[in-house]
Amino acid sequence: MIKLYNYDLSVNCYKQRLMMGILGIDYESIPVDFFPGQEHKSEAFKEVNPLGHIPVIVDGDYTLRDAHAILVYLAAKYDPSGCWYPSDDPELIGELSQWMLFAEGTTNTASAARLHDNLGYAFDIDALRSGAHQLFRVLDEHLWFREREGKDWVCSADHPTIADLAIFPDVMLSEEGGISRLPYPAIRRWTERVRRIEGFTIMPGIQEAASLAI
Amino acid sequence: MSQNHTRDESKTTATNEVEDLSLRWFPIGRSDDAAHRHVHHAKLLGRELAVWRADDDYLNVWENRCLHRGVRLSIGHNDGTELKCIYHGWRYASRTAGCTYIPAHPADAPARTICNRTFPAGERYGLMWTTEQGEGSPPEIPALEAGSPFALRSLPFDAPAALIEEHLDQYQSGGEVTVTELGPHNLLLTSDQASIVFFIQPVDSGESVVHSVLTTAPNPQNELVVLHHHARALTALRDRIETVASRLPEPTPLEPALEQIEPTDLDGQTPPSRDEAELRVTVARKWETGEGIKAFELVPLTGQLPTVQPGAHIDVHLPNGLVRQYSLTNRAGEQEHYVIGVKLEPDSRGGSACLHESVREGDVLAISAPRHNFSLRRDALDTILIAGGIGITPLLSMAETLSQGGHPFTLHYFAQSSSHLAFPDRLEELGDACRTHLGLSPEQTGDQLKDILDSYTTSQHVYICGPGPMLDAARDLAEGHRWPESAVHFEYFKNTTEVDKSAEFTISLARSGVTTTVGAGQSILKVLRDQGIAMPSSCEQGACGTCVVGVIKGEPLHQDVYLKPGERASGERIVTCVSRSLSDELILDI
Amino acid sequence: MTTTVEECTDPVALSLWHPVVAVAELNPQEIQTTLLLGYQISYGLRNDGSLGAARQDQPRVELPVRSRYGYLWVCLGEPRGDVFDIPEAEEADRRTLNAASIMVNTSAPRAVENFLDMGHFPFVHGGFLGVEPHTEVVDYEVTIENSEVWARQCLFYQPQAAASASGGQISEYTYRVPHPYCVMLTKSSPTDPSRQDVIGLFIQVMTQERIRAHNFLSVLDEDSSDTVLKRFQQIIFSQDKPILENQYPKLLPLDPRVEVPIRADKSAIAYRRWLSELGLTYSVIPGDQNSTGQATTGQRSL
Repeated sequence: MIKLYNYDLSVNCYKQRLMMGILGIDYESIPVDFFPGQEHKSEAFKEVNPLGHIPVIVDGDYTLRDAHAILVYLAAKYDPSGCWYPSDDPELIGELSQWMLFAEGTTNTASAARLHDNLGYAFDIDALRSGAHQLFRVLDEHLWFREREGKDWVCSADHPTIADLAIFPDVMLSEEGGISRLPYPAIRRWTERVRRIEGFTIMPGIQEAASLAI
Repeated sequence: MSQNHTRDESKTTATNEVEDLSLRWFPIGRSDDAAHRHVHHAKLLGRELAVWRADDDYLNVWENRCLHRGVRLSIGHNDGTELKCIYHGWRYASRTAGCTYIPAHPADAPARTICNRTFPAGERYGLMWTTEQGEGSPPEIPALEAGSPFALRSLPFDAPAALIEEHLDQYQSGGEVTVTELGPHNLLLTSDQASIVFFIQPVDSGESVVHSVLTTAPNPQNELVVLHHHARALTALRDRIETVASRLPEPTPLEPALEQIEPTDLDGQTPPSRDEAELRVTVARKWETGEGIKAFELVPLTGQLPTVQPGAHIDVHLPNGLVRQYSLTNRAGEQEHYVIGVKLEPDSRGGSACLHESVREGDVLAISAPRHNFSLRRDALDTILIAGGIGITPLLSMAETLSQGGHPFTLHYFAQSSSHLAFPDRLEELGDACRTHLGLSPEQTGDQLKDILDSYTTSQHVYICGPGPMLDAARDLAEGHRWPESAVHFEYFKNTTEVDKSAEFTISLARSGVTTTVGAGQSILKVLRDQGIAMPSSCEQGACGTCVVGVIKGEPLHQDVYLKPGERASGERIVTCVSRSLSDELILDI
Repeated sequence: MTTTVEECTDPVALSLWHPVVAVAELNPQEIQTTLLLGYQISYGLRNDGSLGAARQDQPRVELPVRSRYGYLWVCLGEPRGDVFDIPEAEEADRRTLNAASIMVNTSAPRAVENFLDMGHFPFVHGGFLGVEPHTEVVDYEVTIENSEVWARQCLFYQPQAAASASGGQISEYTYRVPHPYCVMLTKSSPTDPSRQDVIGLFIQVMTQERIRAHNFLSVLDEDSSDTVLKRFQQIIFSQDKPILENQYPKLLPLDPRVEVPIRADKSAIAYRRWLSELGLTYSVIPGDQNSTGQATTGQRSL
């Protein structure tokens, strides 16, 4: 069984929980006392990941770190439909990689602002918030034009990909970092669509969306 | 830049801009921002708004604040007819914004005063509009009325509306630009390439949204190109304006006033309405919905109808002077009209006959606000609804509410024959949850009820409405099968008890200290009214429960069919229209 | 947006003991800084093991400090008495720990009121402290005793009431508000039903609209690891957090006409009245009739 070094309140760990929930993968969660224990900085944990951060997964003999890399691995290996990581479509995979890099940006701004506001990390909060707003403006415009094309997701496919899962948690918890989503109506609609994906799992601070059933 | 900037009107500076603007209509989003089952989050002049579209397309613009603890409703759930707050699950009906359900007190109907603040809503030129204190409808812009308006992408700016207005002539749409001021924060920009009307939504003192509408729609195959072109132009303008704005001192955010709420006491009791026939409605539709059963769709002459909760009834004041009670069949959140079903009683004293024969479509009737004395809990693990004949009406409202919310339930409908079933189309939509029992003798009905009420499991509730003998039988069976009294809910059509009015006794009113006598032939209700107390009442024959008051001391003589046996035994409540006193004195909590 | 913070002038708030850090999380010889009632303060552990704190604008003036229940408490004015007592936590065989100190963009009284509230369990803590359709809040008893708000016989159906609980149960809580910004509950311990577990929320009021919530635990659980105990409390608190950050206004309105209470809110009603009677103005919007005449940064027109 896959082991996930996990902290319930971490957005990056949540990305893996989301993916495994959607793909129906059973996994064992190994709780890491990230806060206040700083267990991920301990010598013992550095045996698992010398960089001293979570998440890390262990799948048999295979160990992998970094949230977005793990998403690629999980989707490539465990999604028989090939939708979540469409590796056989060069244009789509290029687009997807572009948005995965975008997700690094949202993690380093929006989610970093959350660490500042929640846990007191000594970051330049004004810079993080304005950086996040710049990215959100780009994302909102992108998703708005996607809607005009009748598309629901970050990439141009008719289905969600790991790019949606990589960006969604940073965006959905942005308000915990003082970054309002009020100016981004297209982002707000997209977060609702993500929360309606079959197999969607919640995390503290992220609830399910209202049902569409009539 | 080689553009030629002209401005037809000089800008007027209002001394109190906010005061002035509160009367104006402003756009608060594109119409497609209020997507299906979504809640759009908007802000106008510092006030946050929750904007949502019900499944019937009605657009709701509400203050973004649940009245209970101030939680934003924009993070709530739009279930198609009601908006649910995610904090405590309070539900508010589309249109009225009245609270329809409070899960912490599932047995109680929420007070009528628990109602969110709503703002006028309108849609025009592909945009949604509202006004804080204005009237009428969104402005008509001749340039758009004459053309084929096409809404472009709305764009948020970190800049005050006035600053944007000042710089709008720098919009690069190709060629020379003329800007005409049409109204506050509303400008027409014309160039060789296009005519665009801009509406600037003042979000807060330092934030705005620029909405823009082309006067002439592009060819459908060109739409995306045009949208991209203008999005780029507006973004470029935004960069320029925000640079200017960032050099200005940050303005103080607006602080809109919160409206004070009409007080309710903790039992959720609304101050009673004295006016028994407070609403005027038009019969919009009258149709035969079953053999001997006419349905009436009632729409308000003006404004909105009061919020309805499942199981409610209204008094209908008939043209012949009679007053009759009818249950509403509306499900929770369905507020567009009221629908009642009326069976022609063979021994009609003029009520049902008048409605069947005299009242026509287009007629105006006086009705009371809905009364909620037969409330539906939405926290049961299973709900059984039992209807006899026209007793279907309140239970249909309950069934549809439970169905909408995904709660498990079964509706048992006893009727003479399939042609006697009322609202067959709506029953059909309930699917397997609706079971009909047709043409049964009293014995067969008893057997069937025995099956239905055979076993009680925890958190199960049964609601019964029908003819007296059927209700009596069902209640006896429930008691025999160990249903707790709190799980059995019923509503009688009428009270057939022979009311004894012979004894004389004293009542003392605890809150006012008044003591007075109820003489033979008088009712407590009448005596209370003679004392100037605004007592609500409806059927005045001990069936509906509208005139119930608390008893502090004394032994009531119960002659109603509303109270449950346990409530009667406790002696803590009394139905004042028919019940009296066994003791010399009653002290009432009023 | 970082804005300049106004310093508190409310004498009631200034005379209180305020928690600022879990002592176990202090590094010896390292001076740390934080915000308390709008004042920048420094604090630390001296070589001799004693605790010290001072305002940054008055570094030579030692502030009164206390070390109780695992926290450093600081008073910015003249303290009235000691930090409140928690008799249960004095028992020797307990595990007492700080589950997490988490900052939230809300006012302290909003967080206290949320802690006192059972009605939100099925909606905000679904699967843990409550589950739909079990939403009813039955009547409970509220009293004011020794200038504290108490709520007793608070019953609620809970699918997983604690880290160590297995399966659903009707839990009975006793709530206690001994301090305007501190609240706790006791409930019978799953490991020894005759004794009480204590869960507390001790709030460091950084500013009127920003808090650091210290999640206090004093339990009889011998089996669960610290990580498991902390994890449960952190999950629960993080579920509340988006609610607290989405309340408007952020300051608690003491005027009863601003929000609609119901019977289930008896404890919150008593808490709001009690705050009015204390004359507290910092972190609340005082009601008209309770005006104490003190100008504070917290007053806003409604």
